[in-house]
Amino acid sequence: MTAAPSRHHRVAVLVWLIALALGALVIAHTRISTDLTAFLPAAPDARQRALVEQLKSGIAARTLLMAIDGGDAARRAAASHALADRLRADGAFEQVLNGDFSAFAALGRWVFDHRYALSPAVDARRFGVDGLSEAIDDTLSLLGTPAGALVKPMLERDPTGESLRIAEGALSGGGPRTQGGVWVSRDGQQALLMAQTRAVGSDLDAQAQALATIQRAFAEAAAPGLALLVSGAPKFAVDSRAQIQGEARTLIATGSVLMGGLLLIAFASLRALGAALLPVATGVVAGIAVVSLGFGSVHGATLGFGIALIGEAVDYAIYYLIQARRSAGSAPGQGWRDWVRHSWPTVRLGLLTSICGFLALAFSGFPGLAQLGVFSIAGLVAAALTTRHVLPIWLPDGTRGLGLRRHLGRGAAWLVRVLPRWRHAFSALGVAALALLLWRHDTLWQTELSSLSPVSAQALALDTHLRDELLAGDERTMVAISGRDVQDVLQRVEAVSQRLDALVQRGQLIGYDAITRFVPSLATQQRRRAALPDEATLRANLAQATAGGALPAQRLAPFVQDVQRAREAPAITPESLADTPASSIAAALLVRGSDGISTALLPVVRTPGPAGADAAQAIERAVAGVAGAQAFNVGDELHRLYAHYLREAQGQALFGAAGVVLLMALWLRSLPRLLAVCKPLLLAVLLTMAGFAAGGIALGILHLVGLLLVVAVGSNYSLFLDWLRHQDSADEDTLASLLLANLTIVLSFGLIAASAIPALGSIGRVVAPGALLALLLSAAYAAPRPPSH
Amino acid sequence: MRAPDRRRAVALACALVGALVAAPARATFGFDDLMATLAARKSGEARFAEERTVSGLDQPLRYSGTMSFSAPDRLERQTLTPRRESFVVEGNQVTLQRGERVRRLPLDSAPELAAMVAALRGTLAGDGSVLRRYFKVSVEGSAPRWTMTLVPLDFQLLGTVRLLRIDGMQAEVRVVELQLADGDRSVTTIEPLPSKARAATP
Repeated sequence: MTAAPSRHHRVAVLVWLIALALGALVIAHTRISTDLTAFLPAAPDARQRALVEQLKSGIAARTLLMAIDGGDAARRAAASHALADRLRADGAFEQVLNGDFSAFAALGRWVFDHRYALSPAVDARRFGVDGLSEAIDDTLSLLGTPAGALVKPMLERDPTGESLRIAEGALSGGGPRTQGGVWVSRDGQQALLMAQTRAVGSDLDAQAQALATIQRAFAEAAAPGLALLVSGAPKFAVDSRAQIQGEARTLIATGSVLMGGLLLIAFASLRALGAALLPVATGVVAGIAVVSLGFGSVHGATLGFGIALIGEAVDYAIYYLIQARRSAGSAPGQGWRDWVRHSWPTVRLGLLTSICGFLALAFSGFPGLAQLGVFSIAGLVAAALTTRHVLPIWLPDGTRGLGLRRHLGRGAAWLVRVLPRWRHAFSALGVAALALLLWRHDTLWQTELSSLSPVSAQALALDTHLRDELLAGDERTMVAISGRDVQDVLQRVEAVSQRLDALVQRGQLIGYDAITRFVPSLATQQRRRAALPDEATLRANLAQATAGGALPAQRLAPFVQDVQRAREAPAITPESLADTPASSIAAALLVRGSDGISTALLPVVRTPGPAGADAAQAIERAVAGVAGAQAFNVGDELHRLYAHYLREAQGQALFGAAGVVLLMALWLRSLPRLLAVCKPLLLAVLLTMAGFAAGGIALGILHLVGLLLVVAVGSNYSLFLDWLRHQDSADEDTLASLLLANLTIVLSFGLIAASAIPALGSIGRVVAPGALLALLLSAAYAAPRPPSH
Repeated sequence: MRAPDRRRAVALACALVGALVAAPARATFGFDDLMATLAARKSGEARFAEERTVSGLDQPLRYSGTMSFSAPDRLERQTLTPRRESFVVEGNQVTLQRGERVRRLPLDSAPELAAMVAALRGTLAGDGSVLRRYFKVSVEGSAPRWTMTLVPLDFQLLGTVRLLRIDGMQAEVRVVELQLADGDRSVTTIEPLPSKARAATP
């Protein structure tokens, strides 16, 4: 009989060691990502996909917004110029904009060189006698005005003003005010800049370096008394990474010390402490490894939240260590057998119910939440298996140390004696909570996607301010056009552009941007090229058109040459744009998805005030009938997206809860017992939610995650207490283990509740009170008969 | 010895200050007087003829049409020859129309245009603070025949516009001359039309 367990032990240790080694191997090759968009949902429909794709990898993810504050206007302008010059000289930035037009020189040259392919004015009439005459008159009308300085240098090459015509189409309403040659805020108190990094948004090391470069350049360039404010997606991502790393370290360190201290006092044994941490450590390794294998990388936030979530794992060890104590009369080294027989089924059931809860997360549409779910499930299973199969080898009789155990036991016994008297009060509270929740059901849930963001409200406020200043108007209205064939998409963009042009003419729109300003469809380019006359015809037409005018035809030889060159030039395609100054703008306006779908985005700026009032409907009409084209408001769409996922998460949570109840029903096979076990959990959830509602705090998806965790952890308490009630002798040890387990959870989540990362804090603020309530209410409803002394 | 010296110095200073204080009162016509004169006029309509001398062109460019202003901030210029074109600015909104094409842009997005519009609107409305925000202003002459010179304060604008010279008689602006940094020049002569209000009365 002794051979069997030892063989079992050997196998268990071997499997555990191999699993740990494999886990460590996987972890060594794991990429930790801190990409914030993991907490953006994987969108279901095309335009939302384009939107999320754009948020993830588009130009927005590489754009930094800056403001220079303090000093006087001249100093701010000088600092803006100096900073922009330094950043432009640095290879890390693709584009640095500060209102200095010379910054557009490269793009301007590119547009100028391709003006006959790009200008919407190019048609057959334009190069006839009348067309030329009109166009030249229009261009000349700018001479002798302050704008003449722009026109004069290119008069001989571009007398018809094609480059001006192209520039006119570009969004002019959006730019900030200019003062002293640089962009300034509306109140004139800040100089504004915008920069796009060359590195992609997800390359956080490069982004961190770019941010450091900006700070260094500013320190060198700026006069004392000036301050630089930086915002934008890369800044958030880099800061959050630092913050998540910092907080995770602090939380893990403080949590470990506190929890270790608590366990040490409770067990009065270092060995027991080590044993208690073993399942947790195994769980963390398993969690990271499985997520890494399943998702390709582990999000930094998953790591932080996940380690907190499997704080439940320490409970298993506590249950084992206390409950496996050898009962009087049994042989030494056999305590674990009793535990496996009596307690393990309950722990296993608790594990299964937790898995049920976390499965809801694993199937969530948010990659970040799905990771959390998978992490928690893998971690809990590994921790439970370690408790069941490895701890018995090390500490076959649990822990011998007395420590606080007796006090804990007594305290718990007192609780289960006293609390049941308050049942009716608790039930009444529960009804009141339900009433409050029903009454407040409209405002109960958050509708902002930003509630998921680990970015602080203050940083968001700065970002909103800079975004509003730099990207004024409502750049949040967009038309998206997607399709499989790029040229087809471009043609449809041109069709929609024509209709939008009409709205601009009517004054409903200030303007819009479109990829076809830089890459017209091949058909359009072909049509424009066909409109360019051969040299002889052009010369003849020019001679007639300029006869008697101020600009003689013989000065226009460079024009004739450029037109001839344009007739021969290769067509512009999205591919040919790659290494040109237009590439970054084009990338923002045409998103080539990994699935082979191209989506063109047309940001539309509506006229403020009454003139633009009906613009939304007008835009809807403009896209009607164009295949694959949709108009949407980015803000509304994000709202919808979030609402969709909140509903989905709520559904999944309910489904998970139903799974928990079903599992327990199957196990308990008794309706009264099932009710006794479920009632405290339901009440704990209701009271926690009501607490938030009473405090006016709207609940978000992460609060929902917290509630799931309350149910998962709480089900252990209520099952144990229910089990004890149906035992002949309820022992103080089990009660002590429950109280200790609860203390560790409340303590560690209490710590998390204080986290400065909003998302992390909200989980903590739900779980700490929720878990405490779950234990107290379980004691009230599923209390065992008082232990006999 | 010292005391009389100091007294003399104080007396001299007083005399100087007195002279300074008295100076504007003695001058026949100053900036503030001009602004007050101009501000009295709330609207006006005129015919204009503009001639631009541009280096590199064989002949001057000539434009003509009508202009109108109504306080506080609506300025309209309708070019009739050689081609129809309209330019309307009201508040911060600029509307340009040429043939069928209409362009609208906020005035503050085009700093040079904003300065030119400020010069015209500020003069026509008699709003000295607007003029002084953009220009160093000097006034010569007298109410019946005055000349105001505006030199841009902004160094970037100074790079394109050298100065604006506006001649007028009482509350009427008669000539606007624009000198550009590259030597090009535009002279607009303005012929006031009888005011609409008067024309409308039967």
